[in-house]
Amino acid sequence: MPTIAIDAMGGDFAPDEVVKGVAQVSLETDIQCTLVGDELRIQEILGATTYNPENIGIQHAREFIEMAEDPKTAVRLKRHASVLVGARLVAEGEADALVTAGNTGAAVLACAQHFKPIHGVRKAALASVYPRQTEYPGQDELALLLDVGATIRCDAMELVQFALMGSAYARRVSKVPTPRVALLNMGIEETKGGDILVQAHRHLKAVRDINFIGNIEGNDLAKGKADVIICEGLLGNVVLKMLEGLAELVVDLAGTAARENWRWKLGLMMLASGFGRLRDLTDYAAYGGAPFLGFQHLLIKSHGRSNARAVKNAVKVAAKAVRDGVTHEISSAIEQL
Amino acid sequence: MVLRRAKRPAPESPRATIFRWDLDKTYLKSEFESLRELVRIPFEKPEDKVAVPGVVLLIRELRNVATQGGRDVRIYFISASPPQIAKAIKEKLALDGIEYDGIVFKNQLQNLVRGKFRHLREQVGYKLTELLQSRAEMPPESTEVLFGDDWESDPIIYSLYADVLANRLAADELDTVLDTIGVDPKLSIRAKELAASARHEDVVTRIYINLERRTPPAHFRLFGSRLVPTYNYFQTAVCLYQDGHLTLPAVAHVADNLINASSYTPERLANSLADITRRGHLAPASAIAMREYVRARGLLPHRRIVEARLSRWQRFLRWLKSEPAPLPAAPEAINYQTLVAEWRGTH
Repeated sequence: MPTIAIDAMGGDFAPDEVVKGVAQVSLETDIQCTLVGDELRIQEILGATTYNPENIGIQHAREFIEMAEDPKTAVRLKRHASVLVGARLVAEGEADALVTAGNTGAAVLACAQHFKPIHGVRKAALASVYPRQTEYPGQDELALLLDVGATIRCDAMELVQFALMGSAYARRVSKVPTPRVALLNMGIEETKGGDILVQAHRHLKAVRDINFIGNIEGNDLAKGKADVIICEGLLGNVVLKMLEGLAELVVDLAGTAARENWRWKLGLMMLASGFGRLRDLTDYAAYGGAPFLGFQHLLIKSHGRSNARAVKNAVKVAAKAVRDGVTHEISSAIEQL
Repeated sequence: MVLRRAKRPAPESPRATIFRWDLDKTYLKSEFESLRELVRIPFEKPEDKVAVPGVVLLIRELRNVATQGGRDVRIYFISASPPQIAKAIKEKLALDGIEYDGIVFKNQLQNLVRGKFRHLREQVGYKLTELLQSRAEMPPESTEVLFGDDWESDPIIYSLYADVLANRLAADELDTVLDTIGVDPKLSIRAKELAASARHEDVVTRIYINLERRTPPAHFRLFGSRLVPTYNYFQTAVCLYQDGHLTLPAVAHVADNLINASSYTPERLANSLADITRRGHLAPASAIAMREYVRARGLLPHRRIVEARLSRWQRFLRWLKSEPAPLPAAPEAINYQTLVAEWRGTH
């Protein structure tokens, strides 16, 4: 059973929700969890909840990095911060993967500081999953988008590597044998998007191990045409935040409509199950978290607003990725490039 | 009301230690959450009954250690099961190689005949009177360690018993508590009579509650530090070691048994040891001695890299900093009104 290190102090609702999430994991699975953070505080929360102590260890860390802190400064000054201690545990073989809901920049820097990159990987990529339409029964309801912010700008070959890493992750975790990879662009024509994207398109077409389906436009992201979408970090981050914002907007609009007119309220009540489904689809708690790919060890970054359920699912995703040998799969794919 | 079986006379040595065990969910992994499971119990063969991991070896070691140390020890079982299944249970204990000194079962037939169906599941009156009655036969200075679980009312029963013996519970307060709980009035009167005639000595040294239901440990704070909630019998064993009832090799036997006969791993045991220490039930010195001894026998994982890299002094400092807040000492008198209300709210 894999051992997963969890940054107990990271996230808007940490440590309470993180510890409760891990407590749930301890009751439902045999995954060994190591909570990293303020030992006394963690034990206090555990003591008031239902948990299985046999599956939970605690590694004391006397500092933590706040969500709003500047990552570079915080990582430099707080050497004993929970996310850094967690990354060290993984790097030293005490744990197999790290899960954090904390400051994304600090998590990325912690990995960069302690994890060795996979041989040949030029830049690591932070992935995210988002809900999309499915085209056939049994298709994964989630698509993988990378990079969403680890690398602001990147060149063509780095985008190709992102495609290989994303494909490997989807093959192992989503169990898609040949994931369809698309390049996010402003048009489907291969000459669009400037030199880097044109070059990347050409390379992606040439790589045998990638099931490249061409460019994809923003309006097709949710249609389920691709399983893995590649883009540079700046664009990926904008897309991700916009998807989240849209989901919130839909729910807000429905609420406003219901308050303004009783007929609309009635109509919305009739559509309640549909809205429930929409809410489920955009519920980050159900997905747990997404990986930071390109290192010999795995980081699963969950949403900053993660509740106990999100943390529980993030730990399960991490354990699944470890069991399914994601990093080994990525390493093999990069070697063959 | 009670069917008693005493295999051996009560101990003569005034310094004897008495270990009293609840049966279902404490010794046996009895399943009676559904009606189907409940109905199946009387038809179970002894070999079908399953003991909670580690408990068999723990009881054997309690007797072995006491015998080797020249101390008198008695092991009693108290069960709320009907005497109709006594044969199967006694055979199961024999199969497990458990040498015991007495066992009692609850005569449920009487409640059925009287139409008192509510009392079929009410254990406080039955167990408290039985414990007090049995205590009258024990040497006054003999100490007791009690073992129960978090399914029904063992924590309350055992605490009441301990406080009645220690003269920390006034007669009218006992009356009110038993009335609040809804104890059969006949048993309530009997319990008060026994309490009044009991020799008042503070003899219950520890109450161990097996957290079979995974009740949050914080729910037991009101019971004071005398009561130790444990998640498995390795945790119980290390606390018994601290109290002088077990030796390090005996605890190692229990650990070995959990790894080889159940699905335990060294990591799970290490986490259990750390948990009971953090909860303040195991002193740092005992925890260190235990960890070093058990680890040397390969029953705990090798020293963590992070830990190994720290100097002794650094480890000591870290240990001091991570010292858990001490648990509140057992109050002079537990507020049973509050305790019963809270316990009922969560159970």
